[in-house]
Amino acid sequence: MGKKQKQKIILPPELPPEILEDEIEVSDEDLQFVSENRDYAGFVSRLDTHSITKHVTRVADVKEDDLEALYEKRLRKTSVVKENEDKGLQLDPVDALPVKTLDGKLYYRTRPKPENGGDENEVGGGEKGGGGNEGIIKLTKVERRAKLKKSKREAKKEGKKLSKPEEAEQAPQVAVLAEVKEDLTAEELFESKKCKLAELGMALLADPESNIKSLKEMLQIARDDNPSISKLGFLSLLAVFKDIIPGYRIRLPTEKELEMKVSKEIKKMRFYESTLLSAYKAYLQKLIASEKQPVFHQVVVRCICNLLDAVPHFNCCEILLEVVVRNLGSQDVVVRKLCCATIKSLFTNEGKHGGVATVEAVRLIANHVKVNNCQLHPDFVEVFMSLSFDEDLQRREVPDDKSKVKNKKNNKRKSIEEPSQLQQNERKKNKKELMLKTRKEVAAEYKAASLAPDVMEKRRMQTETISAVFETYFRILKHTMMFTAVSSEANASSIGGASGAHPLLAPCLKGLGKFSHLIDLDYIGDLMNYLKRLAGGGSSNDGPSQKNSNHLTVTERLRCCIVAFRVMRNNLDALNVDLQDFFVQLYNLILEYRPGRDQGEVLAEALKIMLCDDRQHDMQKAAAFVKRLATFSLSIGSAESMAALVTLKNLLQKNIKCRNLLENDAGGGSVSGSISIYQPYAMDPNLSGALASVLWEINLLSKHYHPSISTAASSIAGMNSAHNQVYHAILSPQQAFMDLLLERESFNSKSDTQKSSSKRKRGNGTSILANTELSSNMSGSIDENEVSKKLGDHFMLLRNIKENERLRDELDRATLSLHLYDEYKKQKKTASTKTKKCKKLLNA
Amino acid sequence: MGKLGKKARKFAKKNLQSVLKRKRKIKSMFKKKASKSRHFEDQRDAAENEEENAELSARRNSENGDIEDMSLEAIFSEDESDEDEGDVDVDDSGSDGYLSEDSNCMPIAESEIHLGENGAAGKPSAQNQEILLELENKKKKLSRLKAKDPGFSKFLESHDKGLKSFRNENAYSDEDERSDDGMQSMDEDGPHLYLNKLMTSSAINSWCHLVKEQHNASAFISLLNAYRAACHYGAESTGILRSGSGAPILDCETFCKILMFVLREADDVFREMLGISSNCKRDTILGLKNNSKWKTVRPLIKSYLRSTLFMLNQATDSEILAFSLNRLRTSIVFFAAFPLLIRRLIKIGVHLWATGEETVSFHSFLILQDVASGFSSDCFDLCLIKMYKAFIGHCKFAEPALFKHLQFLRNSFVELCSQDLLRSSNKAKVSINNLSRILQLGLQTKKKEAVKKICSWQYANCIDLWVTYISHCIHDYDLQPLLYIIIQIINGMATLFPGPRYLPLRRKCIEWLNHLSSSSGIFIPVTSLVLDVLEYKVSKEVGKPGKDFNFSSAVKLPKHWLKSRNFREDCVFSAIELLSAHFAQWSYHISFPELATIPLIHLRKFQEKSDVESLRRVVKRFIDVVEQNIEFVKKKRDEVAFSPNDQQSVEAFLQLEKCSGNTPFTQYYRSVMEKAASRSLIMNENKR
Repeated sequence: MGKKQKQKIILPPELPPEILEDEIEVSDEDLQFVSENRDYAGFVSRLDTHSITKHVTRVADVKEDDLEALYEKRLRKTSVVKENEDKGLQLDPVDALPVKTLDGKLYYRTRPKPENGGDENEVGGGEKGGGGNEGIIKLTKVERRAKLKKSKREAKKEGKKLSKPEEAEQAPQVAVLAEVKEDLTAEELFESKKCKLAELGMALLADPESNIKSLKEMLQIARDDNPSISKLGFLSLLAVFKDIIPGYRIRLPTEKELEMKVSKEIKKMRFYESTLLSAYKAYLQKLIASEKQPVFHQVVVRCICNLLDAVPHFNCCEILLEVVVRNLGSQDVVVRKLCCATIKSLFTNEGKHGGVATVEAVRLIANHVKVNNCQLHPDFVEVFMSLSFDEDLQRREVPDDKSKVKNKKNNKRKSIEEPSQLQQNERKKNKKELMLKTRKEVAAEYKAASLAPDVMEKRRMQTETISAVFETYFRILKHTMMFTAVSSEANASSIGGASGAHPLLAPCLKGLGKFSHLIDLDYIGDLMNYLKRLAGGGSSNDGPSQKNSNHLTVTERLRCCIVAFRVMRNNLDALNVDLQDFFVQLYNLILEYRPGRDQGEVLAEALKIMLCDDRQHDMQKAAAFVKRLATFSLSIGSAESMAALVTLKNLLQKNIKCRNLLENDAGGGSVSGSISIYQPYAMDPNLSGALASVLWEINLLSKHYHPSISTAASSIAGMNSAHNQVYHAILSPQQAFMDLLLERESFNSKSDTQKSSSKRKRGNGTSILANTELSSNMSGSIDENEVSKKLGDHFMLLRNIKENERLRDELDRATLSLHLYDEYKKQKKTASTKTKKCKKLLNA
Repeated sequence: MGKLGKKARKFAKKNLQSVLKRKRKIKSMFKKKASKSRHFEDQRDAAENEEENAELSARRNSENGDIEDMSLEAIFSEDESDEDEGDVDVDDSGSDGYLSEDSNCMPIAESEIHLGENGAAGKPSAQNQEILLELENKKKKLSRLKAKDPGFSKFLESHDKGLKSFRNENAYSDEDERSDDGMQSMDEDGPHLYLNKLMTSSAINSWCHLVKEQHNASAFISLLNAYRAACHYGAESTGILRSGSGAPILDCETFCKILMFVLREADDVFREMLGISSNCKRDTILGLKNNSKWKTVRPLIKSYLRSTLFMLNQATDSEILAFSLNRLRTSIVFFAAFPLLIRRLIKIGVHLWATGEETVSFHSFLILQDVASGFSSDCFDLCLIKMYKAFIGHCKFAEPALFKHLQFLRNSFVELCSQDLLRSSNKAKVSINNLSRILQLGLQTKKKEAVKKICSWQYANCIDLWVTYISHCIHDYDLQPLLYIIIQIINGMATLFPGPRYLPLRRKCIEWLNHLSSSSGIFIPVTSLVLDVLEYKVSKEVGKPGKDFNFSSAVKLPKHWLKSRNFREDCVFSAIELLSAHFAQWSYHISFPELATIPLIHLRKFQEKSDVESLRRVVKRFIDVVEQNIEFVKKKRDEVAFSPNDQQSVEAFLQLEKCSGNTPFTQYYRSVMEKAASRSLIMNENKR
């Protein structure tokens, strides 16, 4: 009965006209029920008469004819709505935010509202809960890092665990503190400020909505003159903000919206949000202002990095990004590492901000590179390596790429923004399909209240990111080339700092290698040209002259070759670029390689990717490389040597005819090419005439001190041109290189200590001392007279010493005795006085 | 029986009562110890076992042990402590030898002894005279005081007693401290009492005569006692017998005579008495053990050996040392009967070997060599370990003056090692593993301390030692594993210190590699290491020639040196010398042209770039000679029909020419080496 009543009251439209009211009999039981359950009835007093009248009036406004239909309609719907209405005790939000739903339908409008609201609350709560936990963890971190006073932090933690009751108690305390404040000395002031900070922070964390105003107070404290107080303030604010910033971006209401009448809670909400936002902005301003000061630099950067890491979706994230990116190349290692880590986590956790921050960051970095003319710390570009591009999005792009190539093969494009146009193209094509999809997705996303933008948006951003990244890469390449070109004219000056001249090149090449599959085909041609010239040491036009190659290290040039091959491999059939030049470069670079100075891993990688992975080689070229590698391994450390030998073996396996090198076939026989004599100093592998040579190196290598190398050499020597044996898959050059690296060397003797019975146990007669002139003439010829004379001297010396000792001893004794005499006299005196005294006493 | 003897006894009774007490005490102690020493053999065995265990555990420790606190000295460290114990043993049980003799020679000695001059020949030193004067003054004063006040003399006497006992206590503690540097502490009182009677040269002469002509045993015994006293002369006076020590003064002549005679003749006399030939082996000595003759002679021999060893400890003059070492060596075979004396002999020998001058060092090495080869293998190990440690201890600094000595130490050590390759290679393995661990630590952590340890003379000398050892012995014994490890260590050293300041170290590394390669016949590529030297980046300002700086005495160059022109020259000359050594080894090998290809390319580049005419000329000459040799080998190899996989024919290739050694390159190599030698000579002379 009560329930029914309730329902009637809640839903005024359902109520029949006044007439019916008379008919309702309020029985005694009913009265009793109400009186017994005051609470149940309590809502009556809280009824929002205003809205009810509104309802009623609205109903009343409707024309008489329609009224009935309306009522009928409503009656029909009640069954549907019922359950929802059960939950939907709060009617206010339904009315308060009518605009937000797009659909016109009524139940659509009412139903999602409370649910959404609930969801939001739940999500918010969850986030808050999670945030709270996070807060605790991070707080401790912050505490450790910033070395804040423990007491304050602990108080804060406790404050978080205990809740409101304590808060109530604290309120008077704060007041008291404020009163006493003036009387305190500076130190106490410091303490009190710390406590204040802690209390405010605790209060904020416990109940952000009601205490939002204390943010301003905290800010005030953070503006303190005392740097340590300010630092504490910064860090506390950081902790608070990290905790209370909502999971969405705050949009301040427009003027129009402000004019509109809103409920109290909305007002409160708006107030809360605007306060939060303004405080946050003020905080950021303060941070950025004090970032320049060396005292605050680290703390501020830490705060900013933390904020960016925690709330990249929130307002003003651009400002944060700007600072972090600027500090990527900081002189301070700690700051730099921190910024790098932040940017990297930004790139890897795109879910937090939906990729917006990624685009922004990449764009900023690109700008920095541009402005600073590529003279930046390598970390600047290194961070790109942790970018990840959604494969799903990419997959859809790839077929488009192909179709595009088919369609517009001749169409040259210049601008880098090309891919975005492509997107639009595609959009048209798939419009219908997309429409459907979008609708579903939008619905789903709205339901989940997720902040992720739709796929299109995502794709657009990704494209932007890619283009910015490659813009940066190309800029670096171009700059490197220009630089080498310029300095080749004024060569002398820059020889000193060869590797320092291109700090960004190494990460750039690395990145190009990693993302080579994303490069637009139209640029690949240019890219290859750049790489070619860089691999040649700057300018390929003049031919690789010695002076130019000074500017890039061997490692960098090898990297260029590797990247070129990577790019080609990733876009295999699409291109027809001649890689011959890179082989020439490699052929010559092998000579210039020097262990210690250059990185052996890179060489091994180059050997692998350029020589081992290719299925087929030109015979001349293969032979030339075989010869060169063999020669190379004669003059180099064991690790590189092993890598070369592995490659060599690989080459020999694939090119059967090259095995002729293992035979001493006069004149090279039938296979010898156009050049009949081997020319070891030729620059071009194709012109070396290596087919005419014999691999005599193998003999020397089989005498190599390193057992693995000598075994490898012997096994190579055993390869036969006659049979086409199937060899086992051998390990890669890189693996071989790593295995034999000195740093990995265990220095354990190969423990096959076979008891060599044949070997003599005792060394042969040849004495190593035989040639020292000492041996024979010394043994017999000792002059005895001389010895006896020396013995005499020795004796005299000894006796003198002895005598000296004896005399000294006696002297000591004598002096001691003399001293004793004094003592004796004294004793005597006292004795005599004593006796005198005794006598006197006796006399007395 | 002279006055003095009585006087001395009286004096002793009067003044040295506490000493006598102590003497009694010690004697009882001896008895205990003597009983102990009956289990002498057992003890020794136990000690040996212990030593073995210790060595094992040392090895285990050094294998599993904490890498952090590795040092070169740490190796074999547990052996050391064990040996110290052993030395204590020697002192304890060794002292019974003399006491048993006492009764034998006492009457003879007493009968022969007659009164001698108290005044010593020769003048006391100026300082002594001064002290004497002062003493006389004070004594006069004292006597005056005594005469004045008789009560004082009483007081003085009573005081003296207390003082004396106090001083004796001091002496006790003194001796405890000194217990390891000789045997005097234990047995000095006994013999001393009768040796207080003087021996004059005439007595000694008669003894000598008796011994020489008649082989009179008793005379020889007293002579040996006199010899003992002479050997201990000076060392004992520091002890408690101070007040009475004026008594056994020998004069200079007597002293010399005793020592010379005994040293010269003792060996012959012993052999005569035992009836053994001069070239008997250790086994014969051991076989004599049950012989009755041996029983009588044994204490004599022991006394002689101990006395001589003691003197070796005391004496400082190189001639005396060399002579006594030489004499001791002839009778070294007798040591077989006294294993504990061998330990002491080794200890002294190693000390003299490491620290002594040329001749002394050489003679002590000969002794060590005899000991190592003649006695048990434990002795060999002991010698080896002790010598290695002494070497490590001495190679921390390398001044040009020390250089030769170090070289001698290294060579003699290797010589000793080559006597028993099995054992020495085990030791080498332990030591090289230790070195490699140090290097590994350096390579992995690149920490400053670790790296510093590697870049030191000590480390370099150790490597040098083992390189010499391996290259000397590789043909006689399978040292391949060691060879491999040491090559890796050297390569690691070279790569760990790439900078131009480490040119001397790099040079040394390459020299070692070349040395190893030429002695073992294996191929060790050094080209890239050499080319690094050639391409060291130096600042352009090649100005004044820097101060002369001796290459051989530094691992690391001073900074200012890098700017001088000499450095540039040194780089180029070093590169040429090292490369030509490398090439010279393979100049007859069939793949010489390929071996030379890459170095030639770089040298040509260098020649083009270099702007110092003299250096260019040197490099040009080298290039020409190498090219000549390339042509030579190429021509020869075009004539052959075998293929690279025909290893035997390849080995035989150009062997004939190699033996004749007349190719231009060989000649060039010789000239380069001569020039290098003269260059370093000039450098050394400039230094002086």
